[in-house]
Amino acid sequence: MKITKLLAAFVALMLILAACSSDDDAAATTEADAGGGDSGSLLDEVIARGELKCGTRDALTGFAVLTAEGEHVGFDSDFCRVIAAAVLGDAEAVDHVDLETADRFTALQSGKVDVLSRNTTWTASRDGAEGATFLQVTYYDGQGMMVSADSGYASIEDMDGVIVCVAKGTTTEGNAATTADRLGLDWEVRPFDDNDLIQAAFGAGQCDGWSADSSALTGIRADQPDGPDSVVILPEVFSKEPLAPLVLDGDTAWAQAVNWAILATITAEEWGITSANVDTFLDSEDVNIRKFLGATFTDSDGNETTLDPKLGIPVDFAYQVIKQVGNYGEIFDRHLTPLGLKRGVNALWTDGGLMYSPPYR
Amino acid sequence: MTAPVAEAPVPETKTPFYRNVKVLSWAFQVVVFFIVLTVLLWLWGNYLTNTRESGIPTNFDFLNNPASFAIPGADFETTESVRNAYVIGLLNTIRVSAVGIILTTILGILIGIGRLSKNWIVSKLSTVYVEVIRNLPLLVIMTFTFLGVVLQVLPRIENAWDIGGLAIFSNRGIGVPWYADVSGLSLMAVLGIGLAGWWLLARWRHSVSDETGEPSHAGLIGGGFFLLVLVIGWTLLGPTITLPEVDGKQIAGGLRVDPSYFAVLVALVIYTASHIAEIVRGSIQAVPKGQGEAGTALALSGFQRMSLIILPQAMRIAIPPLGNQYLSLIKNSSLGAAFAYFELTNVTQITVGNGSPAVPAFALALVFYVALSLITSFFVNVANRRFKLVER
Repeated sequence: MKITKLLAAFVALMLILAACSSDDDAAATTEADAGGGDSGSLLDEVIARGELKCGTRDALTGFAVLTAEGEHVGFDSDFCRVIAAAVLGDAEAVDHVDLETADRFTALQSGKVDVLSRNTTWTASRDGAEGATFLQVTYYDGQGMMVSADSGYASIEDMDGVIVCVAKGTTTEGNAATTADRLGLDWEVRPFDDNDLIQAAFGAGQCDGWSADSSALTGIRADQPDGPDSVVILPEVFSKEPLAPLVLDGDTAWAQAVNWAILATITAEEWGITSANVDTFLDSEDVNIRKFLGATFTDSDGNETTLDPKLGIPVDFAYQVIKQVGNYGEIFDRHLTPLGLKRGVNALWTDGGLMYSPPYR
Repeated sequence: MTAPVAEAPVPETKTPFYRNVKVLSWAFQVVVFFIVLTVLLWLWGNYLTNTRESGIPTNFDFLNNPASFAIPGADFETTESVRNAYVIGLLNTIRVSAVGIILTTILGILIGIGRLSKNWIVSKLSTVYVEVIRNLPLLVIMTFTFLGVVLQVLPRIENAWDIGGLAIFSNRGIGVPWYADVSGLSLMAVLGIGLAGWWLLARWRHSVSDETGEPSHAGLIGGGFFLLVLVIGWTLLGPTITLPEVDGKQIAGGLRVDPSYFAVLVALVIYTASHIAEIVRGSIQAVPKGQGEAGTALALSGFQRMSLIILPQAMRIAIPPLGNQYLSLIKNSSLGAAFAYFELTNVTQITVGNGSPAVPAFALALVFYVALSLITSFFVNVANRRFKLVER
């Protein structure tokens, strides 16, 4: 009896082992897909899935906020929609994944998200060591400092022997430390897990300054419990923080698709195409605009055709992006202008800013 | 006629190998071993493939990179290596764990005894403490000690409480008097000599007492020696005592207890003490009642009964579960990472956020935690062997 049982167990185990080894192969293939190996691009996987997993956050006013209705609203969230509109033709086919600052790269590396649109600064070591590819910058930012209005500080150079609070796992803490070194100031930089904790510490007077990207500080200032006038954002901007979406290294097809989705919003603004008037451009006189929107045009042989740049996404992706989400200026005005942020260096290159898209042809 | 039934030899049936229990149990173990090995190798291979495809380093070279972040309360420059940041993180974990273990043991024993007290108020208060704290998640307690106690109860630096110039309380830290101008090493040496002398003297006095029956006075003589060594060491080294004071927005002089350290320590001590109290109560109740009654018969006072007869026997039972509590305290200190306390987990998270590869960085933290736990277990085992009942 005992031996029969043992034998049965043995056979069962062998079966499990056999099942495991076949599982191995299947799992290994999907892993390779996620890593963007030779076997396929994330682009195909996202199209097959019919939904984009976009890494974002839930509480940064202007950039990404989870509303009471369970909707993600903000500049970064809209760029998730831009990518979904371009790749899937539906701006709402997005699964917004809320990530902690310190977890965002791991989430990208592990395939938990397809793309990070989570105001992340493009730096060399992140490009290299985190295995990420940064794409078109969506917002040129710089680090600033917020202090309470009655502190009397007019410049960061007044701040000696103070405590500066920052969010953990960001470039902010390193910038603050090196800025203090450079100016010969004694700052104690305290990193907290999230903004709610910093708010508590800042409100209780444990921190003299709250340092973050200027754009983020503008949002935080608007949300102060004692009103925006209880705090002051000091004039200095002491770092370059180009905020860009990022995808995993080694998947060029996916990176190009995401990149051109974002560039389309800039091109559209340059041509004055908005979500309201995009339909009127479909029969535009300008053949370049028709090519851009995926509309038909007459080629040199007299045939009606469309331009397919072989990006692996529908030829009318730009039309979908603009129709469903809007151009860069619209997205900016919708979320950041109400906070009092000016276009500044984020203006179009034609207006003296840095927003410049390669030509679409 | 009759068939030679009896002579028919019983056939020598040899159990076939596939029905042999010995062979089967071996085969079973070999199979399990290979399954585990296959799964592990598969995971490892996946990790290597995926990191190689995305160009993420898998070695420990990042330890030599500059950390590019500062650590409050430590003399740590942004240009120092990630390796040094790890060392400071590890030391901070040890600092909060060691102090926490000592304090929580004292508090736990007091509350454990309190639960058995005949005084109604004391026993009910102890019961409420244990039942409430034991049933709260540690993260909730720690959030409370940080957001509630440190940030809201302690005053702003401008209105800091000054306790007779000796201590300063504010939500930027707590200042207490501290020595200066003496290296920690020489201080440790003085304390070490004092404690070793105390122990040796006490042992000698006990053996004399055992032989002659005269009172040992071990505590008096040993403690006296300890104080003497302290006084001599003090005069030789000549440290100065500095008092804390508010200097602008900071606490200067003395020793500044970091507010996050304080919040994390208090939460760990309060939480672990509720578990230790239960261990102590159970261990005391496990000591046979006759022991206490025998003490009463010898006209020992309540305190003597507890300290000389019951507690020594109860501790014998309590040591192994106490060790488990110490281990969880060490591991729980990682929650301090959320509250700006620079212990091991926090340093790991920050260095990963600044471009160090996540898997090797966390693997390193893992090794440190395992090492800390094993070292603690070793000491607990030594204590256990020393105190356990010698059976003859």
